[in-house]
Amino acid sequence: MGEQTSETEGYVGRSVRTIEGRGPVMGKATYTNDISFPGQLHAHILRSPHAAANIKSIDTSGAEKVAGVVRVVTGAEAAKYIDPIPHYIDPAVFGGRSATIRCLALDHVWCFGQPVAVVVAEDKRTARYAVSRITVDYEVTTPVIDVEDALKDGAPMVVPGWDANMIMEVPFGSGDVEQAFSSADRVIKTDVKVHRFSTQPIETRTYNGVYDAGTDSITLHGTVQNPHPLRNVLSKILRMPENKIRVHAPVIGGAFGMKMHGHPEEGMVCFLSKLIGQPVKWVEDREECLLIGAREQVHSVELAVTKDGMILGLRDHYLANTGAPSSCPGWGMAFLTGLTMPGPYSVQNVDVQLSAVVTNKPGWNASRGYGKEVTALALELSVDNAARELGIDPVDMRMKNFIKKDQFPYDSPTGLIYDSGDYAGVMQKAMDAIGYDEWKTKQEEALKEGRYIGIGVGFELTPEGGTLPGTLVGGYDSSTVRVAPDGSVRVLTGVTTPGSGNPTGIAQIVADELGVRLDTIEVVQGDTTSCPYGFGNSSGRSTIVGGGSAAKAAVEVREKIIKVAAALMEVDESSVTMKEGVIASGDKIIDLEEVCYACYTRAYDVGSVIEPPLEATAMFKPGLVRHTPNEKGQINPYPSYSNAAYVAISEVDVNTGVVKLLKFSVAHDCGKVINPILVEGQACGAIMFGIGAALAENITFDENGRQLTKSLMDYVMPRIGDVPSITLTHHDSPNPVNYKGLKGAGEAGVGGSAAAIVNSVNNALSPFGVMMTETPLTAPRVWSAIQAAKKAQPQRKVA
Amino acid sequence: MSLYPAFARPRDLGQAAEIMGSLSTGAMIIAGGQELMPSVNYGALMPEVYIDVGQIAALKGISEEAGAIQIGSFTVHRDVQNNDLIQSKLPLLSYAAAQIGGGMQVHNRGTIGGNIVAMHPLYDILPSLLALGAEVDVLSDVGEVRVALADLMKDARHGLGSESLLVRVHLKPMMPGAGWSYEKLKITAGGYGSANAAAIVTLDSSKITSLRVVVGAVSALPVDMSDTLSDCCGQAWSAHLAEEVEARSSAEIKEPLSDHQGDGEWRRAMAGVMARGAIEAAIKKAG
Repeated sequence: MGEQTSETEGYVGRSVRTIEGRGPVMGKATYTNDISFPGQLHAHILRSPHAAANIKSIDTSGAEKVAGVVRVVTGAEAAKYIDPIPHYIDPAVFGGRSATIRCLALDHVWCFGQPVAVVVAEDKRTARYAVSRITVDYEVTTPVIDVEDALKDGAPMVVPGWDANMIMEVPFGSGDVEQAFSSADRVIKTDVKVHRFSTQPIETRTYNGVYDAGTDSITLHGTVQNPHPLRNVLSKILRMPENKIRVHAPVIGGAFGMKMHGHPEEGMVCFLSKLIGQPVKWVEDREECLLIGAREQVHSVELAVTKDGMILGLRDHYLANTGAPSSCPGWGMAFLTGLTMPGPYSVQNVDVQLSAVVTNKPGWNASRGYGKEVTALALELSVDNAARELGIDPVDMRMKNFIKKDQFPYDSPTGLIYDSGDYAGVMQKAMDAIGYDEWKTKQEEALKEGRYIGIGVGFELTPEGGTLPGTLVGGYDSSTVRVAPDGSVRVLTGVTTPGSGNPTGIAQIVADELGVRLDTIEVVQGDTTSCPYGFGNSSGRSTIVGGGSAAKAAVEVREKIIKVAAALMEVDESSVTMKEGVIASGDKIIDLEEVCYACYTRAYDVGSVIEPPLEATAMFKPGLVRHTPNEKGQINPYPSYSNAAYVAISEVDVNTGVVKLLKFSVAHDCGKVINPILVEGQACGAIMFGIGAALAENITFDENGRQLTKSLMDYVMPRIGDVPSITLTHHDSPNPVNYKGLKGAGEAGVGGSAAAIVNSVNNALSPFGVMMTETPLTAPRVWSAIQAAKKAQPQRKVA
Repeated sequence: MSLYPAFARPRDLGQAAEIMGSLSTGAMIIAGGQELMPSVNYGALMPEVYIDVGQIAALKGISEEAGAIQIGSFTVHRDVQNNDLIQSKLPLLSYAAAQIGGGMQVHNRGTIGGNIVAMHPLYDILPSLLALGAEVDVLSDVGEVRVALADLMKDARHGLGSESLLVRVHLKPMMPGAGWSYEKLKITAGGYGSANAAAIVTLDSSKITSLRVVVGAVSALPVDMSDTLSDCCGQAWSAHLAEEVEARSSAEIKEPLSDHQGDGEWRRAMAGVMARGAIEAAIKKAG
């Protein structure tokens, strides 16, 4: 039915302006904190100042005396009304240890910042002041801060009752690793330490719980990436059925994984609202936002290589400091790091093992890259180190080991099935985009003047659209397309946007598939009551499954419109075309609104050829996912594998250690590009994250496990002045199993870009023999490395 | 601490002195609010009384009198940057004020007085003011006194902002032909500086005849290196002298800061790098 939209026509593939961007840009968007109700109350949370302690008693009387305070609740009182928070990804499902997580601590705290009590007051300032009037008698115990300490014999247990400070140990890989290592010319070991850094959306988390006594139901307005799965979690916490709970996620000011749920405050505001009978709002402050960790991992990568740089085998037993247990899905990041080994490299003999360790640091939540960025860092730093040891060019070594483009679909040694790709082509494009060879010349010339310029590359393979069996991390999604009697279109979808622009991408797809103008489409997301069931936003999935399902629904609705149009024009259906809202047959043209109105109003004559209303709901479930374990017990949770290559040019001031980025390029493959400007915006954003990761952002603690990083003056994210000019190119190899060949865009790039920067710094400092594999490369660290190298050896010429 | 602070707005210096004298601790002077309000919003401070000095004419304006330049403490950074008198006679100060972080909003609201009173080790103006030998007028309920800024800066418990009010800054114009520089080391564009140095140098042919160097952001208070480096006078700048300046300036930092801007060992080393860099840059401009 109808004509196919060609590549050059229609909206898909064009850089159209975002339809949902107007509100935020004008300052007119309604964010969660803009939503208030009559009788609105405000909560402030008392958090533990200790990393590990027993709570002997809590005296709330001081807070209760403050005028304007409505209620003070401790963990003991809360436990009477609510249940623990179910895990987003329960380690027990995968054979690991599962802790009981509560909204408020009961008799023991296991990390700095853990909620201990909450004050609800008439205004925020009163609530905050009253919190300072609560007295808690803590019996402070010895915390474990580092992974090494956590694993020592006799180490204190982070979770009372556990026999080890370990969520789980997971082996990945297959092949004959022993044989690979014994037959190798060299085994080159690289210790890669990735520090704790997170994401810091400008809008911090905000929740407003509104209980309606008339219907005994709860609405949570909140900064939520996954409304439907959260509804299930709330139902367990609140002991209410899901049909009495609505989760509404308004416009969001950045998410990056941090707004995936499991946070204590989500259930807390709902419970407090029900307890008090008035709406209760909580707004996270920056210090609280910085308590959410991620990515702190210690890798020891061994590459078994031949003299000429072929990688025969890989071993990496790594430790993840996941902090204290949390119901958020953060710990799963550490799992994904191992699963994504050995990334883009054609290595079949792999022995990777994760130890997901718990400590008395605050827990993790999901963070852009979801562990795959750490895979890229560990691999790319190791490959550069190996190339230097072998005296070969780091790009040559990568080219030699990349999976070839005719090897797809490719079975990875950890059980993944890579859909498609051309990794060497992507790398070459990134190098061409920056003028790789010219920079080598510039580098040599600069060195003669005593300037240290470095060239670094990084590659990142980013599996996207993940789904885990037995969890509400779903792989499919659903959308409804509705066309009103006036011809305007409403798309309701189960995916949400973290601000990345997917509603526009979905609208472009619907505009083409349905044959209407883009400006007649409204995309509705983030409401469990109005949208079809869906899993929200994660893992670069929203355009893949939101777009895929909306396309299918649009095709169904289009068929109805065409049928009625043909009846009205008295022509054969097959002669009717519909494009950008113009319905035609030969030289006859009919208005879209006239047809739509007829569909609704003439159900007993010309409209009887269809079943009204003009509405369809469809589901899209990508292929390639394998949840039934293979003979090695491996699953493939991902349908698509985006990938990208990064080249960074940096200059190091050897007197201060300050790294300045001069130029950056990226070539990436996210399959078919729906909207180039949105994809490029996301890619540039990921590079900003990579810059922050490589050079500055760091969450630090004192020796007692108290967090020192409290504000954005401590946790310094890159500003535009830190960002060099970025050249971005696309290198698409469409995913054969997804709608339009989509692979997912938006998540990828943190690790690949960070790795390129680290490698560029090491390259710049190769005359000193410096090889830094612990992030971040802050100026003091770079300076120390130069000082140490100067002491260790006299200066030598650039390699 | 009070949830319900009071607000006082004196019309002149006399009223200000009277109000300060009549209040117990807990009163805080608010000028541009760039230092105070973030602390209040963060919950670190809860003043009982805000004394808004924004209406006091005597705190405003930049003028030249008897060969000295006076800058009212309520003068915002943007005016310090753009004022003709300061640009021509105190170019170091004008430049340093332009290096203050936080962007246009902070430059439009933050005041020179607030910057001094905060005595924040990482702020930008103090090293230049100290290198320029600034004096300040301080008002309390017992009257107004003039003190050298260097003397005031010896102790963070100076009482300014609650018990007394910084009225104006006095500065002597820089000598014609003097070279000057303010060097600031930042790890990232968005963060505080990790080390800085202000230098003023005069030359006779190529020999240094006078030298003022103050290093900031590496210890709790700015460190005046001028005495330590006074034997540079009479010498011409050389690679050897540069290395010596760097080493001696670093050695002068006894208790380096160790914070998110960098650890102590590096900060001490950077004190030297900044001092050396500032002198080098100042020499290039001198003559």
